[in-house]
Amino acid sequence: MPGAWLCSCWGGRVLPLLLAYVCYLLLGATIFQLLEKQAEAQSRNEFQLEKLRFLENYTCLDQWALEQFVQVIMEAWVKGVNPKGNSTNPSNWDFGSSFFFAGTVVTTIGYGNLAPSTEAGQVFCVFYALLGIPLNVIFLNNLGTGLRAHLATIERWEDQPRRSQLLRVLGLALFLTLGTLVILIFPPMVFSHVEGWSFGEGFYFAFITLSTIGFGDYVVGTDPSKHYISVYRSLAAIWILLGLAWLALILPLGPLLLHRCCQLWLLSRGLGVKDGAAPDSSGLPRPQKIPISS
Amino acid sequence: MLQSLAGSSCVRLVERHRSAWCFGFLVLGYLLYLVFGAVVFSSVELPYEDLLRQELRKLKRRFLEEHESLSEQQLEQFLGRVLEASNYGVSVLSNASGNWNWDFTSALFFASTVLSTTGYGHTVPLSDGGKAFCIIYSVIGIPFTLLFLTAVVQRITVHVTRRPVLYFHIRWGFSKQVVAIVHAVLLGFVTVSCFFFIPAAVFSVLEDDWNFLESFYFCFISLSTIGLGDYVPGEGYNQKFRELYKIGITCYLLLGLIAMLVVLETFCELHELKKFRKMFYVKKDKDEDQVHIIEHDQLSFSSITDQAAGMKEDQKQNEPFVAAQSSACVDGPVNH
Repeated sequence: MPGAWLCSCWGGRVLPLLLAYVCYLLLGATIFQLLEKQAEAQSRNEFQLEKLRFLENYTCLDQWALEQFVQVIMEAWVKGVNPKGNSTNPSNWDFGSSFFFAGTVVTTIGYGNLAPSTEAGQVFCVFYALLGIPLNVIFLNNLGTGLRAHLATIERWEDQPRRSQLLRVLGLALFLTLGTLVILIFPPMVFSHVEGWSFGEGFYFAFITLSTIGFGDYVVGTDPSKHYISVYRSLAAIWILLGLAWLALILPLGPLLLHRCCQLWLLSRGLGVKDGAAPDSSGLPRPQKIPISS
Repeated sequence: MLQSLAGSSCVRLVERHRSAWCFGFLVLGYLLYLVFGAVVFSSVELPYEDLLRQELRKLKRRFLEEHESLSEQQLEQFLGRVLEASNYGVSVLSNASGNWNWDFTSALFFASTVLSTTGYGHTVPLSDGGKAFCIIYSVIGIPFTLLFLTAVVQRITVHVTRRPVLYFHIRWGFSKQVVAIVHAVLLGFVTVSCFFFIPAAVFSVLEDDWNFLESFYFCFISLSTIGLGDYVPGEGYNQKFRELYKIGITCYLLLGLIAMLVVLETFCELHELKKFRKMFYVKKDKDEDQVHIIEHDQLSFSSITDQAAGMKEDQKQNEPFVAAQSSACVDGPVNH
């Protein structure tokens, strides 16, 4: 568990943490409501107006027939079938798209723009995820293991001179910045160029995907009116895996780096803490000495 | 002699790079697993999708025939707008105008799905400010959630797993590994029935068009945080007590996530699984004096601290017997 050692620092006081978490949820809910409710009301009014205008233009249509039609279209849309254009669009369940879907299930991103609609598909999805998610966790954890073993030498730095400590911290910071650029800045630029999104939308997509939230409002490679090169989705899948592995690498590293920076700062102020009191990296407290004989 | 030398060097090579071989097999296995999933999903879903497309084509043609004043292009334009709106959770249909997506309880539900990284997508932030806030909220909130879940799960695991296992091991004298396995299986059973079967039954009753399989599918997809979003409770037309329902679902998702993690932690602590996981890890070269004389997983700390606490109390009661008792207590777990 990444935060295990943080927990022992915290002293294991769960109740204030629980309270803080609930407050954080409530805060988020209030702010989302403030930001979004107006936009939603506006959208609704806009679309109702458009509908009325559409019905006015074509008086041979009656509202009821249109609504029925739209209902069927929306149900098909939810299942991933796009009614626009002629139906020679590439299928949603050809091999490449199914591979992409399998990847989003196993990494728990779960966009939802595509979902199994048959019962057999749903049952298979459950069992597939049951095996696939642990496999994915093991795989991602091991993808960065070699690098983390090298970076973990930052733990034994007490024995080294101050300058080398500083260099190590700087080197680590450089590595993190480079990684952020390659994973979080360049791919969204590419995506926004190919998909016709703004850079903000591309970054939003990248963030939502790599955090495995995966709303599905923006998904690469699903616009039927665009022509994608055949390896586009595979490249996107590779980017997702690399991004997740990189996140799995740096997420435990972040708090550790912060902790070491604090220690360095305290040491430089002459308020250093003896490192014997700090928990070691495995997250367990050091064994207490117990007298064997009275 | 050369043969035996070559044989032994080969063996040594494999042994030294054993974890690298294991990792290579892991990568291969992962890719094969993805390919396998793709093939099965494709073969199961493709015919159904084909059928749906044909039906849709017929429907569209019939609609255009019935209403001749409508041109195909204008219909497509209209449909495009409708689908764009429904992507954002805004429905054009007049009977669905009752439910708001961003009242307080729905926003709370949304916030909890963001923080647990489930992300259904039935509601998404529409405005640019909402999207930006969503990113900032997650950057702070997801590590916070990890910290919170870790703290809670560790606490619960101590009470639910370590203490009972220790109790049965000491008082009833069964081997620790057997007790651990039996306990893990039992815990898994109880959790699955409490957090999957019972809620699935509840959802299939509360939701109009969900049968039991679909409710179970929803529970699984939510608690594994995949969150496809094809089934979301509380979105039905004219749902009674919608606010309470949404709060209830939020609590269910959080508790279910905690329960899943507790079960996961219990299973990961099993000795066999630890050995399996160690196969893939890179061996760290430790200096001689840094290797603990007794490995951590052979010596469970809570048992030591518990016994230390217990011993202090015993010491006050019966002094002459302390030496024998304490040495026996410490020797016990060490031998396992």
